[in-house]
Amino acid sequence: MFTFVAFSLKRAWEGFWRNALMSLAATATMVLMLLLLAGFWILQAGLQAGLEYTESKVEVVADLKDTATPADVTAIEDRLHLMPEVKDVHYVSREDALAIYRARLAEQGETDLTRYLDANPLHASLEVKLVDPKVFGDVVEKLRAEPAVDKVKEQQKTVDSLLTITNVLRTAGTVILIVIALIVLFIIVNTIRLAVVARAEEIEIMRLVGASDAFIRWPFVFEGAMVGLLGAALTLGVLFVAADPIGNFMIGFFTVLPLRFGTLTRDIIVLVAGAGLGLGILGSWVSVRTYLIR
Amino acid sequence: MTLSSSPSAAPASVRRRLLRRIGGDHVATDRAVLILHDVTKVYPNGKTALGDVDLVIPEGDFVFLVGPSGAGKSTLIKLLIRDELATRGAVILDGQDLARLPRRNVSKVRRKIGIVFQDFKLLPTKTVWENVAFALEVTGTPRGRIRPAVDRVLALVGLTAQQSQLPGQLSGGEQQRTAIARALVHDPRLIIADEPTGNLDPLISWEIIQLLLRINDLGVTVLMATHNADVVTALRKRVVALEEGRIIRDEVGGIYHRVD
Repeated sequence: MFTFVAFSLKRAWEGFWRNALMSLAATATMVLMLLLLAGFWILQAGLQAGLEYTESKVEVVADLKDTATPADVTAIEDRLHLMPEVKDVHYVSREDALAIYRARLAEQGETDLTRYLDANPLHASLEVKLVDPKVFGDVVEKLRAEPAVDKVKEQQKTVDSLLTITNVLRTAGTVILIVIALIVLFIIVNTIRLAVVARAEEIEIMRLVGASDAFIRWPFVFEGAMVGLLGAALTLGVLFVAADPIGNFMIGFFTVLPLRFGTLTRDIIVLVAGAGLGLGILGSWVSVRTYLIR
Repeated sequence: MTLSSSPSAAPASVRRRLLRRIGGDHVATDRAVLILHDVTKVYPNGKTALGDVDLVIPEGDFVFLVGPSGAGKSTLIKLLIRDELATRGAVILDGQDLARLPRRNVSKVRRKIGIVFQDFKLLPTKTVWENVAFALEVTGTPRGRIRPAVDRVLALVGLTAQQSQLPGQLSGGEQQRTAIARALVHDPRLIIADEPTGNLDPLISWEIIQLLLRINDLGVTVLMATHNADVVTALRKRVVALEEGRIIRDEVGGIYHRVD
């Protein structure tokens, strides 16, 4: 057993360097494909985060009657908190509403006309964030039943169209990622096959002198794993070097989004290393199989 | 019609001769290295490469396999190393029916055969010593047993001095001797030489034949496919002639061409 593993590893190492050009070509292909895969993974993660962010903006807003007392408000808040579909409830007082309105006008560079008013025309409101933006019916019903609630803003149409768009984008993103993964799989398997075919003579001699399938296969599988790991390491190196410039470029984008950088980095490392190793092994396994005893 | 009538006449005489060779000596049958019984090989494209071939090669025999290109020599050799399976009939190598051999045991049976080709099939980036050792390494031989075995066969073929050279630095004869050393390193029961002198000039060819004869003297059975009429005729060994997939002649002390 030890002889076998030592032999296979030694042969894999020899094989890699004996046909260095071929091995490096396979590694280069591996790097390019893994970069492609990682790039699309990052885009996909960004897209998903964007969609989540957009969906999190969906909320049910209930305008309160000006006669509503703070006790009424607290009571409604408490009742809402008990509902499983409610994530968060935020109370906006009349003064808050005016301040937000003024800030928004100032941001847009408009003249603030509200100062000419002698009374605050805005109503206090409750902003209810939902766990799932699709499930809002009960919350709306509940709010409508409250005597202190003036009117519940009807958002159904907006929510529906928004959800349609996010669903389409989500599906498209996943489909594109799968297609890219398949393309990467085929290209890498074929490149490794070329490297194996270049050594067909050696494999033939091994068969003729009575080498068992395992002795023929494993050196190539280890070699494929080497190509995969080397490719993954180079890819991660490139991504690491490129992370800062890309991060700066997208900083505005990412600060808005609730993208968890730690998780993304971990996912990318697992994805690249796993895909590299897996594809390298799979590629060699499939390619060598052609030459084994029929 | 002469062609089709002579093969049909041949098997009977062959069988009789085989019976004579083996008859009365049952030990010889038991110790036959190779038995082909009514072997037919039809390729998937419908071409019949071998038809009803019967052949017994006792241990220690030296057999020439002759016949024109396309007569079935290569197919026969492929059946012996179980690169192909017979469509009908039995191929029994050292007591093992190759058709019933589980896949995982094929490699073990191949170690009982040493095979030598016209084009040597040496690895150009390995030295003579490494090429021979390769056959042992890839079959899982412990390191300690490799060195003495390789040194021994290299001495036997007379290449001890050239052991550190690459095949490209050797003459054709030396390359073929390297290939023979590699074929011998497993201590095979049978050496199959497929046109071993096809790429060599006559003088070197004789050297290779002499080497094979010496190996045969050491007790290794040799089956040599060849087109070299001079060698076959001069040596007067057993000659098996194939034509259109059938054995048309099997005689001891035979010559290359058939005497009509």
